[in-house]
Amino acid sequence: MAAAFKGRREDRRLVSGGGRYTADWNLPGQLHAAFLRSDRPHARIVAIDAQAALAAPGVVAVLTGEDTLAEGIRNAPPMLPYPGRGGQPIKLPPRSVLATGRVSHIGQEVAMVVATTALAAADAVERISIEYSDLPAVIDAEAALAPGAPLAHPEVPGNVCFDFDYGDEARVKEIFAGAARITRVKLDSQRICGVPMEPKACLASYDAQQGVYDFWSSTQGITMMRGSVAGYGIAPDKVRPRAQDVGGGFGIRSGAYPEYIAVMIAAKKTGRPVKWVGSRSETFVSDHHGRAIRLSGELAMDEDGHFLAARYEWVCNQGAFPSGPGPLINTVTPKLTPNGVYRIPAVYGRNRLVLTNTTPITAYRGAGRPDAAYLLERLVEEAARESGIDRVELRRRNLIPKDAFPYTTPTQSAYDSGDYEALLDEVLARSDWEGFEARRAEARARGRLRGIGCAVFLEPAGGAGPKDQAMLKFGSSGEMTLYSVTGPSGQGHETVFPEVVGRELGVPPELITLRASDPDGPPLDGFGTVGSRSMGAHGGAALLAAREVVRKGLELAAKELEVAAQDLEFAGGRFRVKGTDRSLALVELARRHAGKGAVHPLDATADNAAGATFPSGAHVAEVEIDPRTGAVEVARYTGVDDCGVVVNHTLVEGQVQGGIVQGAGQVLGEHCVFDEGGQLLTGSFMDYAMPHAGLIGELRLYDHPVPSPRNPLGVKGVGESGTTGSLPTLMNAILDALRPAGVRQLDMPATPARVWAALRAAAGARQPPRG
Amino acid sequence: MYPLTYARARTLSEARELLAKHDEARLLAGGMTLIPTLKARLAAPSLLVDIGQVQELQGIEAKGDRLVIGAGTRYVDIARSALVKRMIPALAYLVSRVGDPQVRNRGTMGGSVANNDPVADSPAAVLALGATVRTERREIAADEYFKGLFETALAPGEIITGFSFPVPARAAYWKFAHPASGYAMAGAFVADFGGAVRVAVTGASSSGVYRWKEAEDALGRRFAPAALDALEVSPDGMSSDIHGSADYRANLVQVMARRAVDAIAAGR
Ligand SMILES: Cc1cc2nc3c(=O)[nH]c(=O)nc-3n(C[C@H](O)[C@H](O)[C@H](O)COP(=O)(O)OP(=O)(O)OC[C@H]3O[C@@H](n4cnc5c(N)ncnc54)[C@H](O)[C@@H]3O)c2cc1C
Repeated sequence: MAAAFKGRREDRRLVSGGGRYTADWNLPGQLHAAFLRSDRPHARIVAIDAQAALAAPGVVAVLTGEDTLAEGIRNAPPMLPYPGRGGQPIKLPPRSVLATGRVSHIGQEVAMVVATTALAAADAVERISIEYSDLPAVIDAEAALAPGAPLAHPEVPGNVCFDFDYGDEARVKEIFAGAARITRVKLDSQRICGVPMEPKACLASYDAQQGVYDFWSSTQGITMMRGSVAGYGIAPDKVRPRAQDVGGGFGIRSGAYPEYIAVMIAAKKTGRPVKWVGSRSETFVSDHHGRAIRLSGELAMDEDGHFLAARYEWVCNQGAFPSGPGPLINTVTPKLTPNGVYRIPAVYGRNRLVLTNTTPITAYRGAGRPDAAYLLERLVEEAARESGIDRVELRRRNLIPKDAFPYTTPTQSAYDSGDYEALLDEVLARSDWEGFEARRAEARARGRLRGIGCAVFLEPAGGAGPKDQAMLKFGSSGEMTLYSVTGPSGQGHETVFPEVVGRELGVPPELITLRASDPDGPPLDGFGTVGSRSMGAHGGAALLAAREVVRKGLELAAKELEVAAQDLEFAGGRFRVKGTDRSLALVELARRHAGKGAVHPLDATADNAAGATFPSGAHVAEVEIDPRTGAVEVARYTGVDDCGVVVNHTLVEGQVQGGIVQGAGQVLGEHCVFDEGGQLLTGSFMDYAMPHAGLIGELRLYDHPVPSPRNPLGVKGVGESGTTGSLPTLMNAILDALRPAGVRQLDMPATPARVWAALRAAAGARQPPRG
Repeated sequence: MYPLTYARARTLSEARELLAKHDEARLLAGGMTLIPTLKARLAAPSLLVDIGQVQELQGIEAKGDRLVIGAGTRYVDIARSALVKRMIPALAYLVSRVGDPQVRNRGTMGGSVANNDPVADSPAAVLALGATVRTERREIAADEYFKGLFETALAPGEIITGFSFPVPARAAYWKFAHPASGYAMAGAFVADFGGAVRVAVTGASSSGVYRWKEAEDALGRRFAPAALDALEVSPDGMSSDIHGSADYRANLVQVMARRAVDAIAAGR
């Protein structure tokens, strides 16, 4: 639909060193912070002796937990609008910004040194001595549920901080009792690290006169950051969050980490700006992690393969403390789409959030949706195998038809629009599903196990927050600044938001500059860039602001052209007197009225109340496995995605591509591992396997838009759906490849060693063929 | 990083003097191992002696029937050298599989062999080819040089100046890259000196690079991929961690050695 893509407007800045990440900000007279972190998973702090650190060269202050408590900093509560089973609220263990009394996980912040240089601060940290008394630790979430398991916190008996359920338990039980076929699976969605390129860092200064903090950090939106800081007890009007470029968000940059608050307090106490830049090791151990869920599911079908009911059980490791989004994404999110793209008349789910002595868990690309899709699509795949019904046919038989929208799930959430069968048809054709057996045979001749797998999936996206605002402000020569509180971290907002406005106003997008999350911009309401919401919410607001410009422009142009506003029409960037060739360009009109005060008469603000959308997709992957080494290669990956109206294909494709590869990272290698003693075994890139650029051989993506009625642009979320699709698609393909060799179950990550071990176990401890 | 002093040596003798004067001095070559170690505060030398520009440590040349490579020669230069590709193509290939371009643009074989990381690639070539490790004070046969995990025959302050490789009739290196680090999970270097075969294995064993004598004997009798089929690789002494069991690594040793022989037999 659009002209050839000319590249992203932000890229010149970003690839030529013009980006400004947190560490790039400096303030005159700033001090530097370094943290002492717990080196044990669970212990009582008997004594902290900071005398030697305080006496070290360059040291200005040492802060401990007591100092943060004295500042009135409180335990930031998680977002959780619902009570749990039986109306029970979440049980929150005490958490201070720096540990008090106890440490509860490796890497927990215990003390902070502030010094004149970063080096002096790091040196002094090593001079703090702490006496600990070790306590029994619990690391694994299922182990934490066992009777008599050690307690992560004495305040939370049984280690379950929140017990949540949804659906109709009794009805589901009844259906299962009479069902012809029941399929069960149990899966692990393993703990992973966000691994942004930019480590955790912040800079704070305190204006004692105004009582206001200026605060720089990597953030997915300044309003979100302000809200998150407020959770600790620092009022929203007392913080000016600032950010420009973000070196990787993925959900793990959505809120304020304890270090941020400690640095703010230090700035207040010392009266000087304080800066902290975390190391890669600190980023691995103390950035909140993602996933860490044991997923169990059961699917009941009749003789003909019609789905009757589904029952799920999630055991969610929350780490030592529930994070801001952790409880939400593991309860409310899966409840929104318990039946995925299928008609399943009855569902019941129980999700237990478990505290352990590990790093907390937060939202990470997909945030509960990849896990839900993985569970359901693995169930459907197994149900097909067990019933002997073709896996495509079984899916087709149960898909929600395209005329069923808006479709209400058994949990009362309303899907906006979709055409799942068309996605499935298209992906089967595009991936040459029918021709696969010939490729499998050809691979076999080369000694390779080739497999194909598919998934049809959807996810909830967007919504969150009553409204988002955007403002268009005119400059002196007709150019515009678009203000919004998005927090882009690579999505291309600076390119695509101006395109939305430019198209509506009939002007080149270059005339419009986005200023996202500008602290010096107008105060705007809205939520940041999370949950695949920005285009629907902020993009929609930008479109409405452009429409408001046109409305104001009609009135203003009418005066200039000396006609009534209703005699004017607006098209191609011009206000034209209907039926004549008399016209006035918007840009010209704007110029004539420029410079006459702070507010230009065409300046416009718009509110957008975008609802949740349900992007969907059908993906097919083909993998090849070397049975001698267990190495898995993704030969081909084909995706057909309904992300609603596509405003900019290249950017949408980039998002889906990135999402798929990020999912492939989880499927094929990423795994954050704590040993039984609570030590992190994957604390560096030597042990944490990141996906590489060549991971997927051939990746082909196609748009299949079905417009969403929930926002002015008709778009759906796109940032995370690729991840949601790629977990089940790839695992179904891997198991398809392994099945002829007798392997029926394998957990992520499908590392070479695990695949080889599974093949060997299936062969009955007989060595697989050599060579 | 802890505070330290940095000095750039212009000649080998200058490097020796600097090392002799400071107890806690460390040589710095490409820095691809040492700099990350310093940054993680795992080492605290008082002085870094940069030998990156010492001419005596540079260069690749044919000397008689041997290939001689200076310890300070960067991987990228070895990988691209027409001489190396002609005399011992397997060595050029091995070096091209070390790390990534940035690492190969700085890292040196001297640094790697001095460090003797049990998962490094270069030790496999040095050992399988029966190279001579040359230092500023003596020559050490490869068989005498490697002493286990990060242990070598080098005395404190001894500087590797280069490697002298006998040229095999044919050779190949096959590596299974570690899924996270890209180092060798298992790597097998097979060198056939026309009857005498040497096989060195890196990555897999918990005590570092070693010669696989049974494979050498079997291949010496009959140089063919199938010659390895009858050999069992014992998991005893293999590393075992979250990335793979000892059984898995034992299997990889077998598979990598076999693939190296395959490659030689196929003339690749
Ligand atoms: C991202 C990354 C990926 C890597 N991947 C691989 C891989 O796949 N395979 C692999 O084998 N290696 C890999 N490496 C390691 C790399 O090969 C080594 O870092 C390199 O070979 C060491 O050489 P250097 O010149 O950088 O040594 P330096 O780091 O400068 O020194 C290493 C050690 O050797 C000592 N030393 C250096 N030169 C001499 C000398 N001439 N005489 C005596 N002692 C000396 C130093 O004092 C130091 O103790 C990787 C490294 C990185 C950072």
